[in-house]
Amino acid sequence: MSASQSAVRSRAEAVKVSRTLDWMIMFTLFFVILGGYHVHFMLVAGDWDFWSDWKDRRLWVTVLPIMGITFPAAVQAVLWWRYRIAFGATLCVLGLLLGEWVNRYFNFWGWTYFPVNFVFPSQLVPGAIVLDVVLLVSGSMQLTAVVGGLGFGLLFYPGNWPVMAPLHLPVEYNGMMMTLADLSGYHYVRTGMPEYIRMVEKGTLRTFGKDVAPVSAFFSGFVSIIVYFVWHFFGRWFGSTAFTKGS
Amino acid sequence: MKLIKDRIAKLSFVALLITVTAAMFYAPTASAHGEKSQAAFMRMRTIHWYDLNWSKDVVPVNDTMTVTGKFHVFAGWPETVAKPEVSFLNIGIPGPVFIRAGSWIGGQLVPRSCTLELGETYEFKVLLKARRPGDWHVHSMMNVQDGGPIIGPGKWVTITGSMSQFTNPITTLTGQTIDLETWNLSNIYFWHAFWYAFGIAYIAYWARNPVFVPRLIAAEAGKYDQLITATDKKVGMGFAAATLLIVAATMQSTNEQYPITTPLQAGLLRGMKPIEMPARTVAVKVDSATYRVPGRAMQMTLTITNNGDSSVRLGEFMTASVRFLDSAVHEDDTGYPDDLLAEEGLTVSDNSPLAPGQTRTVEVTASDAAWEVYRLADLIYDPDSRFAGLLFFTDEAGNRQMVTVDAPLIPSFI
Repeated sequence: MSASQSAVRSRAEAVKVSRTLDWMIMFTLFFVILGGYHVHFMLVAGDWDFWSDWKDRRLWVTVLPIMGITFPAAVQAVLWWRYRIAFGATLCVLGLLLGEWVNRYFNFWGWTYFPVNFVFPSQLVPGAIVLDVVLLVSGSMQLTAVVGGLGFGLLFYPGNWPVMAPLHLPVEYNGMMMTLADLSGYHYVRTGMPEYIRMVEKGTLRTFGKDVAPVSAFFSGFVSIIVYFVWHFFGRWFGSTAFTKGS
Repeated sequence: MKLIKDRIAKLSFVALLITVTAAMFYAPTASAHGEKSQAAFMRMRTIHWYDLNWSKDVVPVNDTMTVTGKFHVFAGWPETVAKPEVSFLNIGIPGPVFIRAGSWIGGQLVPRSCTLELGETYEFKVLLKARRPGDWHVHSMMNVQDGGPIIGPGKWVTITGSMSQFTNPITTLTGQTIDLETWNLSNIYFWHAFWYAFGIAYIAYWARNPVFVPRLIAAEAGKYDQLITATDKKVGMGFAAATLLIVAATMQSTNEQYPITTPLQAGLLRGMKPIEMPARTVAVKVDSATYRVPGRAMQMTLTITNNGDSSVRLGEFMTASVRFLDSAVHEDDTGYPDDLLAEEGLTVSDNSPLAPGQTRTVEVTASDAAWEVYRLADLIYDPDSRFAGLLFFTDEAGNRQMVTVDAPLIPSFI
C-alpha cells in the first residue's frame, strides 16, 4: 500500500473506523476536560462547592456560575467552530460533575468521613444544556454569550434548590438558631478551617430584603456573559492550527 | 579504577532502591497536628491553656466527652501576630472523628467566631460526641484570623465501637426529627443522577451518528449548513424547554414541600464573658532570664512580693502548654499528658513559704527535655527574643493564684 492509498477498503470500514475514532476522542476529551475543569473549579470555586454551609444565597449563587462558564465557553468554541457540534458545555459539566463526585465520595467521605450530604457538589447541567441549545439554534457567539450566559447564571440557583432546601430548615441549637447546613459545618469538625474563613452572607445587598438570591443570580448571569466572551476566545485560540514556514 | 567506581555507583543505586523499598514496610501513621512545628513564641505569648481536663480516655461511639479548662489571652501578645479580634474556638482532631456537639466560652455557645480581649481569662468547654473508632489526639485549639491556629495541649482518646452505629438526631424548628448523618442523601443522589442522565441523553442524541471525522471534513469544506438539521434544532429546543420546565416545576414543588427555610447564619459574636479573676496578691518582677542551650533549661531571677494575707510558694511554671512543677508544692492529679508534664522540672533556690508582706529574690530553673522535644528551645531564633508564661503560686489553704510573666530572654550557648 502506498502512502497515497486509503487505509480503508470500503465505506463500511470507513464508517467503522470513524466510529471507533469517535469513541476514542469522546473518551479522551471527556477525561481531559474532567481533569482540567475540575482542577480549575476546585481552585476558583473551592469551598463554595465543597461544603453545604458555604452554599448561601449570595456568594455561592454569584461565584459558581461565573467560574463555571469558563471551560464550557472554551470547549463550545472548539467543538462548534471546527465541527458544528453543540454539546460542548454539557460535556464539560458532566465531566466536572463526575470528577467532583469521585472526589467527594472517595476523598471527602471515604478518607476523611465527612457525610456526603455535607460535601456533595453543585450541579450545572440545566445551564449547560441551555447554553448549548442557544448556540445550536442561533449559531451566534454573541447571542450564546448574552442569552446563554445569562441563562447559565439564572438557572444555577433554582437548579440546585431541590437538594439545598432541606438543608436550610431552621434548628434551635443550645439557644441559637442555625440551618441544618450550618449545623453540619459546626458538627463535622474541619480542623484546618476555622469558621471565620467561611465567606457567606457578606456584602451590602440588603435593599431587596430577603429576596437576594434572584438579584445575585442576575448579577452572576451578567458577569457570566463577559466571562463567556473571554473564555470563548481562549477556546478559539486553543483550537486553532498554525503552521510554520519551512526554510 | 573506573571499574571500581562503576561498581560503587551501581551498588549505591541498589542500596538506595532497597532502602526506598524497605521504607514501604515501615510507614508509621502521622498522628500529631504539627503543634511542635509552630513557632515557640506563638505558643508562649498568645493563648495560655490551663486547668485542662479531658473527661474520658475511652469513649464508645455515640457517647460524649468534654474538654474543659481555661485560657488566658496574653496581654503581651506579639506584634507579629494579628490580635484575637476574630477568633474561633476549634478542636484539634483529625477531621470529624468526633462531632462537635457544643462549644462554649464563658457559658456562651460559640458556633461562630468571636472577639477576645487581651489580658482576660476565659473558661471554655467543648462537648464531643464519638463517631469514628480509633486512637485520636484531642487538642484544644484557638484559630485567630490572620494569626493562624494556636494549638493547646493534646491527649490521646480512644473511641470504641462501630461508626455504622453512629447517629446524629436533630429536631428542626418545623418539628421534624432527622438524622443529620444521612438526611437528604437520597434526594441529593436522585437529582444529581436525574440531571446526569438528562445531560447524557442530550449528548447521546448527537453521538448516535458519526461525530468528529465526517463533521471535520464537511466543516473544512465549508459545508456548515449541512451539519445542523432542522430536526437537530427542534430536538435541542425540546431539551431546553424541558430543562426550563423541570427547573421551574421542581423549584415550585420544593418550595411547597419546604415552605419555611432560613438563610445560612453568619456573623461575629461579641461580648464573651471573661472570668472575674480575684485580685492578684502576688507580684513578680523578672530581673533576668536566660535559656541555657546545652542544659535545656531556662533560668529566671524573680523578685516576688506577697501582698496577700497567706504565705505562698511557687508551685508551677507553665509555658506553651508545658508544665514545670515543683513536686514539693504541687502535684498534678488531672491526668495531664505525660509528655507535657515535667513533674519535677521546677527548681526554686528558696521555695520556703513567702510570708505576707515579704519580698524575696529567687533563682528559678525550669528544665526538662520538653524544651527540646516541643521545640521551645527554638525561641532563641525568634525575631523578638522574649519568653512568657504563667506562674502558679499556692497558698496555705491550697488555693492557686496565676501570675503572668513576660520578659526578654538571653540565650546562653556555653
